[in-house]
Amino acid sequence: MIDQLGDAVPGGPVRRVVPLAPDVTELAFAAGAGSLVAAVPVAADYPTEIARLPRVAPNDAEAIVALRPDVVLATTAGNDPRVVQRLRQLGTRVCSMDVTSFARLVEACRLAGDVLGYPAQGERLAREVDARSARATERARALPRRNALYVVWWEPLIVAAPGTFHDDMLHRAGLSNLAPASVGRYPRVDPELLLDPRLEVAVVPDERDLREGLARTTASAAGSRLVSGAVRVIWLPADLANRPGPRLPAALEALVAAREARP
Amino acid sequence: MKRGADLALVAVLLAAAAAALVFGGPAATPGEALAVLSGGGSPEVRTIVLGLRLPRLALALVVGASLALAGAALQALLSNPLADPFLLGISGGGAAAATAAYVLLPAAALGGVPAAAMAGAAAATGLVWWMARGPLGPSPTRMILAGVAVNAAASAAILTMLALAPSPRLPGVIAVTMGSLASASAGQVAWLAPYVLVPAFVLLLHGRDLGLLATGEESAAALGVEVATVRRRVFMAAAALCGGAVAFAGVIGFVGLVTPHLCRLVWGGSTRRLLPRAALAGAALTVLGDLLARRALSPAELPVGVVTALLGVPFFVALLRRSA
Repeated sequence: MIDQLGDAVPGGPVRRVVPLAPDVTELAFAAGAGSLVAAVPVAADYPTEIARLPRVAPNDAEAIVALRPDVVLATTAGNDPRVVQRLRQLGTRVCSMDVTSFARLVEACRLAGDVLGYPAQGERLAREVDARSARATERARALPRRNALYVVWWEPLIVAAPGTFHDDMLHRAGLSNLAPASVGRYPRVDPELLLDPRLEVAVVPDERDLREGLARTTASAAGSRLVSGAVRVIWLPADLANRPGPRLPAALEALVAAREARP
Repeated sequence: MKRGADLALVAVLLAAAAAALVFGGPAATPGEALAVLSGGGSPEVRTIVLGLRLPRLALALVVGASLALAGAALQALLSNPLADPFLLGISGGGAAAATAAYVLLPAAALGGVPAAAMAGAAAATGLVWWMARGPLGPSPTRMILAGVAVNAAASAAILTMLALAPSPRLPGVIAVTMGSLASASAGQVAWLAPYVLVPAFVLLLHGRDLGLLATGEESAAALGVEVATVRRRVFMAAAALCGGAVAFAGVIGFVGLVTPHLCRLVWGGSTRRLLPRAALAGAALTVLGDLLARRALSPAELPVGVVTALLGVPFFVALLRRSA
């Protein structure tokens, strides 16, 4: 098997799985391999079954190896590639996910099922993710197309660029991303972009820091279009929208529903 | 020739300021910005030019002038061409405190980051002064060594906090450590501009003393310079300037180090004449750096400290080679 970074994942029996990030933790459980998970990363908080599991720091190769995993699930959304490389060098079987779109998420579901020994459940999950995403995308076709930004941070202003799953989510929800391409996945951009007359929607994960950041931004000149309502802010449940895992379709559905309520 | 260079410096500064207002960012075209500067323009574009670009320009001017003036004064005070607010640990102390504030404060209190930066710069200044004390007061060599030590400690503290910071806060921390003028506001400028006036005046007032000190402590003392008093006042004033700059713009390296050398190569070694020119040149370099940081990959922004270094190094090398 080949993972999403193009590296070979040797086959073999799987009895112990260690995911290194919340998104791949959710993926392991959703793909039916929850009973194999031996430890979860410190930041994981879903599903509730993880409460009984030991925690591991995802950048602590020694602690990960000590857990004697048959498979380590890694992600490009937050894991240090040097640690992942080191684990491979130590002979650990590693499968890296690189979800940059909903189509890649569907692939990741299948891959997780195959690697963890649950191909049928992985396939079922892939089909479910694909179908939910397609239905939400279809609903959004009836909505007027708007220009948008996916705001990762307000001060400095950091947004999701083309080539990210956030960009794909905007696109599927009938929103055109105004973020620049070819400057990285999550570039820091000029705060003047918030005053761009083309900008109509800002999609933001609902976190306390970002709520406070918005309050500070609206108190400055850069926030005048947010204050006047010329730019509408749509808040999405942060855990759903920030993690490229199996709950991502729910974030898309929430975004489409918010747009349907006020096109 | 010097008068021509003076005029060229003023022309560059004015041109950079005008360019920052006209070409500043992605949301308004140069034509629309020019309309605003001519007294017209739509309310939206007026907000962009007068509410965003103008405060950012003003902050860049004040920060650049402060850093360059502090650097020129410190180089003369310590008779060391490598002296600048960064080497002496002042910027590092401010950045470490700002980083700690970013990491530790609740979201609602992040407006307190500039105050933390100023407190950190002040603490670093006090620490350097205390470490460098000797029977005859702090010596230049001990001050630099103390600065290097404080800087190393500040860097270690920043790296520790970067490793431990909650990941959503990292962008703010990086803006502090790599410099950013993106959050400039009229309120910040209204606070900072009067604040820097006093230390800037102190440094300009001691221009002659600094020039004499640069030739040696004994000869300066023989010519009536109160060495210990001048050293204390100049160091504290330079630190105050730097603390103000770090508080609102983070660490913008290189301006304080290279601008005085650029000016020295053009206008010669007289410290009294150098100080005001270094301030103007530092302001111009920072404005140009910020403009390039915004425009090079617009609407993406580069860290302004990176761009000021990229701008300054080639000029510095060319002038250095020419003077060799």
